[in-house]
Amino acid sequence: MAMNDDPEPAGVAAREGRARIGSTALVVPGTSGVTAPIVVKNDLWTSAAGTAYNGGTDSGLAHLAEVAASDVSRRDDARWSGLLEVIPTKADVVLDLLRANSLWPLLSGLACCAIEMMSAATSKNDMDRWGMFPFRASPRQADVLIVAGTLTTKMAGPLVRLWEQMPEPKWCVAMGDCTCSGGRYKRSYSTIEGIDRVMPVDVYIPGCPPRPEGLIYGMMKLQQIVKDRRGHWPERAIGPTVPPGV
Amino acid sequence: MTTTSHPGRHASADDPRVLLDDEIGVFGTVPPYPPRTEREAEFYTLGDGQMFLNMGPQHPSTHGVLRIVLKLDGEKVVDLDPVLGYLHRGVEKLCENADYHQVISQVDPLEYVSSLFCEWSPVMAFEKLLDVDVPRRAEYIRVLSGELNRIASHALFMGWFALDLGGLTPILWSFIERDEIVEMLAALTGQRMLFNYFRIGGVNGDLNHDFMSRLGDWMSRATGQIEANLTLLNQNEIFVRRARGLGVVDTETALAMCMTGPNLRATGSPFDVRRAHPYSIYPELDFDIPTRTEGDSLARYLLRMEEIKQSLRIIDQCLHQMPDGPIMAKLPRLLRPRPGRAYAAIEGPRGQYATYAISDGTDQPFRMRIHDPSFVHLQSVGLLMRGDLIADCMAIMASLDPVMGGVDK
Repeated sequence: MAMNDDPEPAGVAAREGRARIGSTALVVPGTSGVTAPIVVKNDLWTSAAGTAYNGGTDSGLAHLAEVAASDVSRRDDARWSGLLEVIPTKADVVLDLLRANSLWPLLSGLACCAIEMMSAATSKNDMDRWGMFPFRASPRQADVLIVAGTLTTKMAGPLVRLWEQMPEPKWCVAMGDCTCSGGRYKRSYSTIEGIDRVMPVDVYIPGCPPRPEGLIYGMMKLQQIVKDRRGHWPERAIGPTVPPGV
Repeated sequence: MTTTSHPGRHASADDPRVLLDDEIGVFGTVPPYPPRTEREAEFYTLGDGQMFLNMGPQHPSTHGVLRIVLKLDGEKVVDLDPVLGYLHRGVEKLCENADYHQVISQVDPLEYVSSLFCEWSPVMAFEKLLDVDVPRRAEYIRVLSGELNRIASHALFMGWFALDLGGLTPILWSFIERDEIVEMLAALTGQRMLFNYFRIGGVNGDLNHDFMSRLGDWMSRATGQIEANLTLLNQNEIFVRRARGLGVVDTETALAMCMTGPNLRATGSPFDVRRAHPYSIYPELDFDIPTRTEGDSLARYLLRMEEIKQSLRIIDQCLHQMPDGPIMAKLPRLLRPRPGRAYAAIEGPRGQYATYAISDGTDQPFRMRIHDPSFVHLQSVGLLMRGDLIADCMAIMASLDPVMGGVDK
């Protein structure tokens, strides 16, 4: 969505070779009126190794931004299209009911909260009773990402990649203090203080870790969001969701 | 893509490239930089008919966020390269910037299935630094709750091990036991998982009625229940034949790879910190150190199940011998130990869990090194998995029972 507001995505700038040549590209996202990347020249330091940072040349890292900027991936799987778009729409209600009552979470535990997530799925607190299906191991088959555990900077890339591999419509549940705000590891040098820095979040479940009942309550809230068509996803850009400027 | 930047260089979360690097940079199998060691050069050179397979960091059976690069010949694992650090939370650094009481909450989530042991060893090290005598009742409560936590951890091990061998049912059963134990520990400590219960000089709260009644209920049928759970696997021919002879390690190799705990005892060496370097009230308690001689995955599994029974014995004795008295030593609020060093090791469910703390006289530890058995055991996966099939890979890893929170710290 922010991608659409931005009149000149950074991918274009990168292709034209104006950004990030031997520099750090910083883009202020959204409606600030900044249309081009602010290029901060690096004249403070040089790397000890001549080949580090690719010798200061363009690293060509913008492949996802390029995909997002092109129209290839802007297929809308999640909503009705064509003639059906104008039929308003008991069918939508039925579809949302189906979605809400068969949420398929992705089996991706990061840390401690994953144990409580598994506990929520096993016999004593059986999430399946409310239509939160057993966990899928592949992001292609999942539509809820329960981020359970501390997200570190090293894991952030793979997790964002997982989120992008999930087909729309998809929802994200931040389970635990670490994913909501950084929690007890907020002051660490290697954690990300809240996953909403890297991906949209629909439900936050506080607790360190939350009890399984807490997770189930959060998932019920998510079901309500799905039924009410609240949350991020109706207006979210379809396809790879790349933060502007990346 | 021609980048040669080192993925580890992306130190800041504000650097957008840390999130979406190119395929080679973060997500590729082969690292984007030239090999730095001979070992790396050898590993990342493919032989005839070989291929790389990237497993993780998101994989249902890597026990967290571990990434393993497998070098395969057909279905056989020729070599492997574990990539760590996906759960590195900088705990040791955080501990240096926290005062001695706050350290307990920082080290709690290291081995999150056995948090009490993560607290126990730093707390013991600090008590040595401060020269505190812990009240006997507090020691008994520590042992009681610790052994309960050990049972919970081993119960989870049983489920995970079976899950990685392809059986779904045992994990449902083991979580029943685990949930009961953590619920009673929650009645004692206030939390289900990250208990934050031990204090320097004692424990946080005395035994209460809720905990004791839950414990009594559970103890009255624990033995039978655990036996029933064990028949799920012990008498399962597929499981036994699959696990037998998998990842065999002998005592010399195990000692050379610094293995401790059940993984070492499964090779025949009866090393247990509770007996070798006694601490707390363990010298007063009567329990056996089970050993096995096979050293394979099945032996490691059976040994842990044997330890559950010994833990039940210890809990029974604790309940019978529990003395009256205070649960906290008299200590000032602000702890300033004399400058010095202290080392404390305990026997966790995974092996020797140790802390080496250095005090410089302030209220914060100058340095705190945490020795975690999971990390040490993970270094031997390369040795154990080499030559096995892909499907056995995760089974061997599960039998070592690493927890990635402890590995990456």
